[in-house]
Amino acid sequence: MKPTSQETNALPPGRWTAGQIPANVRVGLNSLITDDLAFKRFHSKQTQALVIGAHCTMDGVHFDLGEQGRMVIGDFCYFTNAVLLCELEVRIGNYVVIGWNTTVCDTDFHPLAPAERIADAIACSPLGQGRPRPPILKRPVIIEDDVWIGPNATILKGVRLGAGAWIEAGSLVTRDVPPASRVLGNPAQVIGTAA
Amino acid sequence: MSAGRTLPWDWYPGTIPENVVVDDTAYVETSFSFYLFRSQLPGGVRYGRGASTYLGTMFDVGPRGRVELGEYALVHGARIICDAEVIIGDYALISWNVVFMDTYRLPREVRERRKELERVPAQPLRVAAAEVPAQPIRLERNVWIGFDACVLPGVTIGEGSIVGAKSVVTQSVPPFTVVAGNPARVIRQLDADRRRSAPASTPQRSNASIP
Repeated sequence: MKPTSQETNALPPGRWTAGQIPANVRVGLNSLITDDLAFKRFHSKQTQALVIGAHCTMDGVHFDLGEQGRMVIGDFCYFTNAVLLCELEVRIGNYVVIGWNTTVCDTDFHPLAPAERIADAIACSPLGQGRPRPPILKRPVIIEDDVWIGPNATILKGVRLGAGAWIEAGSLVTRDVPPASRVLGNPAQVIGTAA
Repeated sequence: MSAGRTLPWDWYPGTIPENVVVDDTAYVETSFSFYLFRSQLPGGVRYGRGASTYLGTMFDVGPRGRVELGEYALVHGARIICDAEVIIGDYALISWNVVFMDTYRLPREVRERRKELERVPAQPLRVAAAEVPAQPIRLERNVWIGFDACVLPGVTIGEGSIVGAKSVVTQSVPPFTVVAGNPARVIRQLDADRRRSAPASTPQRSNASIP
């Protein structure tokens, strides 16, 4: 699942964001990232925060990485306006397709317990400067090679999408998806095989 | 190709493609909706009388795709992924972030899909254009679709029916039926006695300033 090609920080000319590409982002040869807001919410402090393989098309994708977030994307991936929310780890293989307006996230962002959520609301507020946030559950999301994800889908934390899985449009995926299966629904259920 | 038609109120510096037919009484909020429009058919998109499309609408239409918007059809923000035909009937109300897809654009078989994904980054406009079968989507008149809903290939939605927000419609919907859920299921039938009521008048809204 690791990108195999040579990595570079140089992006080809194209319809590419007017902003600066963060120093801890590596982009493979012939990969394209568009949208001014691609790194608007990129806060990762990791040394290799985001590694994108070669020949990828990241059209209007939002790379929203928290301070601890690390994300790896393989070669020949094709994402359209996906929102990738990563506080811990998101690993995406080769030949993965993600449809328009689909969200992938590896955390719920806030604690479940009511009292902790109040503490979190205060810590996140303009008055909460320096206050520590309560611990929040994060679990890696792993998307294996050849997964196809349709538009308007949601992939939640801790999920592994097996190689060649087919995630129908609008699915909300809360559990692992076996390789080469086709899922649909909220919550997503296996409805057949991918091919 | 001529210089094309611009919209005086547009924020996006684009034009309405030549093969898009906009009725004088229809309204196009922005030409950005045609950013991915590649249809080569005459009437690749056809706006009926009083039809309108707003900001979030995107005609992601392939070379042989065709989209029809009926009279008074109001498309607030739909992603229309079309390689064959998407017909939106008269009086349709389409909410935001709705997806209509008459094709999956990529082959289901992994090896075939890889081939296409290797071809895409070599093209200047990076769009998938594999020969995969498309199945038309048809909305009969007076259909209402809630926000974030998806309509999958081959679906017909019958006259007067309603699709609830966030539904995923995988099968055709009979007339005068409410469906909701993911996957969408029939919730109830609409009152037969109030099935039809003609519009009282035909108010004027104009796109006539497009030359």
